[in-house]
Amino acid sequence: MDLSPLAAVTDEGVKGAGKAIALGVGAGLGSIGAGIGVGFIFGKEIESVARQPEMKSELESIRWLGFALTEAVAFYTFIFGLIAFFLS
Amino acid sequence: MSTTETKSKMRTKTKVLIGLGTYLAIAIALLLIFGNDGKNEDFKPQNEFKLPAWVHLQVGPIDLSINRAVFYLALASALTIITMTYIAKRMAQKPNRVQTGVELSYELVKNNILGDNLGPGVAKRWFPFIATLFFFIWFSNMIGFIPLPTNTEETFNVFGLEIPSFAIYAATANISIPIVLTLVVWISYHVEGIRAKGFLPYLKSWLPPGLENMSPIGRAAIFVIEVISHFVRLISLSVRLFANILAGHLLLLFMGGGLAVLLGIAALGALTFPLAFVFFIFEVGLVATLQAFIFSTLSAIYIGGATSASH
Repeated sequence: MDLSPLAAVTDEGVKGAGKAIALGVGAGLGSIGAGIGVGFIFGKEIESVARQPEMKSELESIRWLGFALTEAVAFYTFIFGLIAFFLS
Repeated sequence: MSTTETKSKMRTKTKVLIGLGTYLAIAIALLLIFGNDGKNEDFKPQNEFKLPAWVHLQVGPIDLSINRAVFYLALASALTIITMTYIAKRMAQKPNRVQTGVELSYELVKNNILGDNLGPGVAKRWFPFIATLFFFIWFSNMIGFIPLPTNTEETFNVFGLEIPSFAIYAATANISIPIVLTLVVWISYHVEGIRAKGFLPYLKSWLPPGLENMSPIGRAAIFVIEVISHFVRLISLSVRLFANILAGHLLLLFMGGGLAVLLGIAALGALTFPLAFVFFIFEVGLVATLQAFIFSTLSAIYIGGATSASH
């Protein structure tokens, strides 16, 4: 019995599933760390402003810097997931 | 709290719940009416970022064709140059709203981006460069969220005229532009560091202070790590800008209907479309400006780190 067409179909299915898992794991699990990080930055900033309200304006630019640096990590994983899904 | 107040609060809550319920019911009704058309194989989301050549230009092995990205690049440069020179030429004692806005952004670059990152002499020399970077990236991010008729692959007909479809695209959503900007920054901070300290002292300054008593092998190992970290800056600086803008555009594409078309479920569009508005406001209001700010701040920090006396 010739099983090669079946094998080809399964192969294609496994490949698609692998790509979908790559995107899901990459974008989904990758966001966890970035989410924790962004929450940490804003939480600490609120804490600092509560302790020293006069520092508010100085902390603002540092906060955005930290936010953007951390948030970018989520996008790295997202982009690599997309590369795995669409371009491989 | 009086009873009437609690009552009105309860009423607002019920109103919100009824509104959300109706909305969900409409979505479910749409799902029942239109059903699932099955997965759409013709629609390829990556085609939204394709760059069909408008004018073919081939110089040897290098493809210099004019395409969408080049158009956006030229538009952003022209906008940066024209607005800034126009405002600078028409400085008035009593500034109007535009001049006030530009002055505010100028001060933002001066105080927040350069700020304490650069020494006074270096700040004066590099302010034009950092400010230009900031305004150029800001303009290219912002025009990326205005729909322009640039999608020449798909056209629509208006009174016999074939007009390209309106599409959003940003020059910074293409890896080539951020990587070129990053290379300019990367090379210039090394050159500035060598100019300030001399070649060998500059390389020596990569080592963190406090390692004088360490063995040469240990110091060499740390030096290798520092060299790697300098090369990683190339990737992190460019991919950060590129990935943020590309991910924003993809989110808008998928939420604004791409997901519904891709999966063939029309009712999904009713749920994702309001989200597209939310993401649009988030991208225009925060991410576009923030990424320009981050890119120029990090450039300033790199130049400052290369020129400052201590590590």
